Amino acid sequence: MNFVGLLHSLGPLSIAGLAQGAIYALFALGYTLVYGVLRLINFAHSEVFLMGAYAALNVWGLFSLNQNSATPATVVVIGLLMLGLVAAIIASGATALVVELVAYRPLRRRNAPPLAFLITAIGASLVISEATGVFTHRSITGVPPLIRPADVVTFGNLHITNLQVLIIVLALVMMFGLDRFINTTRLGRGIRAVAQNPDSAALMGVNKNRVISLVFLLGGLMAGVAAVMYVLKIGTVKFDAGFDLGIVAFTAAVLGGIGNLRGALLGGLLLGVVENYAAEVFGTEYRRVIVFVLLIGVLMFLPTGLLGESLGKARA
Amino acid sequence: MLLEIDNITLLYGRIQALHGISLEVDQGEIVALIGANGAGKTTTMRAVSGLRPIASGAIRFAGQDITRMRPDLRVVRGISQSPEGRGIFPGMTVLENLEMGAYTRRDGAAIRQDLDRVFGLFPRLRERMRQPGGTLSGGEQQMLAVGRALMSRPKLMLLDEPSMGLAPMLIQQIFSIITEINQQGTTILLVEQNAQQALSRAHRAYVLETGQIVKSGTGSELLHDPAVKDAYLGVA
Amino acid sequence: MNIEQGAELAVVQYNDKNGKDCVTIKKFDSQGKPDVAPGLARQLVTDKKIIGIVGPPFSGESEAANPIFNDAGIPLITPSATRVSLSSHGWKVFHRAVANDGAQGPGAANYIKNVLKATKVFVADDQSAYGAGLADVVKSTLGSLVAGTDKTDADGKQTDFSATVNKIVQSGATAFFYGGYYQNAGLLRKQLTAANWKGTLVAGDGVDDPGYATAAGNDAAAGTIVTCPCSPASKAGGSFVGDYKTKWGVDAGTYSDVAYDAMNIFLKGIDGGNTTPDKMLSYINSVNYSGVANTYKFTSTGELDPSLIKVWAFKFGTDGKTAPDQEIPKS
Repeated sequence: MNFVGLLHSLGPLSIAGLAQGAIYALFALGYTLVYGVLRLINFAHSEVFLMGAYAALNVWGLFSLNQNSATPATVVVIGLLMLGLVAAIIASGATALVVELVAYRPLRRRNAPPLAFLITAIGASLVISEATGVFTHRSITGVPPLIRPADVVTFGNLHITNLQVLIIVLALVMMFGLDRFINTTRLGRGIRAVAQNPDSAALMGVNKNRVISLVFLLGGLMAGVAAVMYVLKIGTVKFDAGFDLGIVAFTAAVLGGIGNLRGALLGGLLLGVVENYAAEVFGTEYRRVIVFVLLIGVLMFLPTGLLGESLGKARA
Repeated sequence: MLLEIDNITLLYGRIQALHGISLEVDQGEIVALIGANGAGKTTTMRAVSGLRPIASGAIRFAGQDITRMRPDLRVVRGISQSPEGRGIFPGMTVLENLEMGAYTRRDGAAIRQDLDRVFGLFPRLRERMRQPGGTLSGGEQQMLAVGRALMSRPKLMLLDEPSMGLAPMLIQQIFSIITEINQQGTTILLVEQNAQQALSRAHRAYVLETGQIVKSGTGSELLHDPAVKDAYLGVA
Repeated sequence: MNIEQGAELAVVQYNDKNGKDCVTIKKFDSQGKPDVAPGLARQLVTDKKIIGIVGPPFSGESEAANPIFNDAGIPLITPSATRVSLSSHGWKVFHRAVANDGAQGPGAANYIKNVLKATKVFVADDQSAYGAGLADVVKSTLGSLVAGTDKTDADGKQTDFSATVNKIVQSGATAFFYGGYYQNAGLLRKQLTAANWKGTLVAGDGVDDPGYATAAGNDAAAGTIVTCPCSPASKAGGSFVGDYKTKWGVDAGTYSDVAYDAMNIFLKGIDGGNTTPDKMLSYINSVNYSGVANTYKFTSTGELDPSLIKVWAFKFGTDGKTAPDQEIPKS
């Protein structure tokens, strides 16, 4: 156990953890939004993310960019990032809507039991990921080096790179925007109404199916942004990339309090930081062990997670 | 006729909850539905607002067939409901709950006028404006549910057990406000276990037993009907 | 394929020199499959004219087929099966004309110490038998030069290596040995480059795959060193490289030179009158043969004499492919 190393590297580990956690948080929002409204774990959310990642790569591929390309000029990079984000958001949002329409809505219309939803969720996830596997020959796809790594802050052994800043800032902006949307707009109020009392919401004139679609779309949008950040940070994509990330993001959602937007942010960032601290102290191979010990510990004392289940009960 | 319910039946799984109910509510009336627990009063309300699909029969509102219409569209047509158990959004403030009542409307200025009207009827709600709905007392929640139902400017208001769980003084107060709302021009269909209050306020009333209407008449007729007295008014 | 063609070239040259068809080569195609090899092996041992085998080429099928050859007493020399455990089964017929995988660890450590001349080295592995085995040998060989260690998830199971990357950067290491396979190694290299780490990644032959450059990107991959318990065939002695090209129309591939040598050991044995499997076996056990790729002398377990083991370093170029760098000095 290397606690001295932790103290020495507290700065860099925290920044690396926050950048990693920002992606978990955006990813976790999709689980939390859908759960808040439908009490359903959308396991296919990992593939919503995956489609976003491939969409961004395909758009960049249209410009003949791959992992061996040179980094283009800054203006071009900004344009490419915008295009990638738009493509990822569209692909992820569309995937989320299609999953809801094909895998969940028909079951809802027939009042199917929760177990049926769980199975179609896992089924939809497997279908998309395996089809992607077949289509890509299960090989890894490289990502063009759009962002040439550079330190923007240097302080002692702490080096904060441009990519880390971009990821953390973008994630916070997205989170803030979503939070404002849910809490201050009419549509956002409709979402909270369905989450808190679906029948009452219908009596107020809220179209439940439209709210559900909106929630899947918002989750997809966040996953699309997370996907672009992921490919820039990791540098490759594979057909099963969503699976592992999905489990961690889902854990983050539960840790923060599933159904709670700010809980997803807190849970995601905390998980990212804890993983990095644990990797330093105990070794990278123990990071998930520590994360789940932490999760169980938190749930023992706070069964609804750190911030509770909020779209439902307390203030969102 | 503002609302016509024509021989509707309704199933909960295999259990038949309504056995062919027909009733009418005319423009400007207060109509009460009375009956024991499980007689089908709340189920009838849910059928009218569209929360439960009916198995057979028809529902017409303002001359239009709304039997298969989605619940949110019925709100747009002019039906609002203060549901059984009040159905407050616990995580929203009193103000947000009232704004939810106006969810289908886009006329901002008129919504503010209606807010003032509700606050005029229920001054307590103005005091608690920024407080989450879940922290209100039962009586305050009831006021909020009625006020919220007013916010859509309904033609027809469905009130399900507005007196449930309230202290006697509050019951008096809520019923006089209901009368006031009616006098301001809103038609009301009222479900009550407190038959005494309901019948004395209602123009007309129906008595439900096990999913069927067994009696109907004006409020005062039923108030003096020996059988009704015996079964629902708690006096010999 | 290039192994078979190497061996066949030796036979053709032998027959040309000594008149037609003194020796014939019989080919058995096991497709590298452990479930196909035993059937072929049983078929092979019934042929009484076979007195020696060059092969089998792969480790998996060797495990399956070698017991059958051992029971039949037919001597074999594999030019390319490098799994360490093959020499530990007590097969008296087994000989290996190349270094085994265990030689990669010391080779990589020696390269880091003597060629890169790194004084701070970070060592990590993927907890697999192959990866951890290599990393442990590297750690014990480098001793006090090791500035830090870590363990990652299995290959393809982890994508974010920020904790490991941070450790490497903070350790001040200029060389990083990774015991594992190409997917993890490629991602590590890419993320290390993104974190501005300019040191050299050294790994075993599990990383020698085009997928490494795909994951890392050619620019980041360039300069990475992978070890191999082999010598590049293009560096073979004599006229082998030219002869092979003339005969087959392609360049000699990895291990084709060793297969050529292995066949020549058998042919030299036949010249010496060792025409039964028994005689051939005792001849090979004491042989001291200088071929085009190496000099061959076997220990009692059938391994090459330690002083003859060669480990080569290959380097990734900016084209994403590996090219021979140098033979790794032994100390």
